[in-house]
Amino acid sequence: MKTHCYIERYATSDMLPTDIKALIPDATLRRRMSRFVRTGVATAMCCLDADSESGEAIDAIITATGFGCLTDSEKFLRNVIEQHEELLNPTPFIQSTFNTIGAQIALLRGYDCYNVTYAHRGLSFESALLDAAMQLDEGTARRILVGAADEQTPSQHRIMERMGCWRKHRDGEGAAFLLLQATPTREPSPCIEEIDFPETRLDDDTIRRRYAVEQILRCDTPQSECYPTAVARILTQAVAPAAGKQIRIAVCNNYMEAQPSVIVVSC
Amino acid sequence: MEQIIQQLKEQLIEALNLEEIKPEDIDPDAPLFGDGLGLDSIDALEIILILEKNYGIRLENTAEAKPHFYSVRTLAQYIVSQQDK
Repeated sequence: MKTHCYIERYATSDMLPTDIKALIPDATLRRRMSRFVRTGVATAMCCLDADSESGEAIDAIITATGFGCLTDSEKFLRNVIEQHEELLNPTPFIQSTFNTIGAQIALLRGYDCYNVTYAHRGLSFESALLDAAMQLDEGTARRILVGAADEQTPSQHRIMERMGCWRKHRDGEGAAFLLLQATPTREPSPCIEEIDFPETRLDDDTIRRRYAVEQILRCDTPQSECYPTAVARILTQAVAPAAGKQIRIAVCNNYMEAQPSVIVVSC
Repeated sequence: MEQIIQQLKEQLIEALNLEEIKPEDIDPDAPLFGDGLGLDSIDALEIILILEKNYGIRLENTAEAKPHFYSVRTLAQYIVSQQDK
């Protein structure tokens, strides 16, 4: 799909301060959050806080996660087994849903706008991005917070190890959020120009020709951190301020060799 | 009584993940909900589980039990009264 989504701002979990109290000031919400939810929400807040000067509201919150809240899900399931399906703690159950991060962002900021979470394995972030792109292109939204987060837990790591996943890939986790706009507020602004799902993994030469790009960033190299929504963080690397002339970059994903995707960005 | 109060404080901190609070920070006579510790309805469910799992107290009528949930001390008194039965 061809599109024009301007990236106003972004934040990643690597940019978070050690103490996130300033980003999530509500102590009650904070104490119920697992490390994963805290990281995701704080990253979103970091992206939004940088935008506080403009004072403009956002029209949609679209989040993506491949695995969801694993820590809380594991805690809840362990509770079910240990307690013989009785006397279950409410907090891990409430927090284990896939849309916890999106919901907590809305609660913290008081946003009652469109709020959807995509959980489509390795294409979760691309699905969220497609939704945002369509809304911005159709004019149903002008400013959208799009982001992704995935965590790694010891049990999930062990299971994937037994499946042989870490023989070819490096494990990882992280969060990244982007504030997308239909029109740029400054020139030049990084712009997502295309989101595509080729049938097979394309080699670099084909990508350069087909998408007319000068640079390629891949999520599926042995050096890249491998988790379902790693592409969101790689996308922020593509738009990180770079001196020099404007270029087109292809961000390529192919999580666990299941379904390739290409996001074309000009910046 | 004092021993149950201390035990309850530790159980509340663990179950409700009150990570910035130490047992000595909790005033046993301060309200648990609203002011004081500022707990809410989800925390009330967690406290019901503490009573059931740790003290074998099953609440049949939550409306009647409401006054016992006022503070750590009233909760401890309720536990002692139920254990004496």
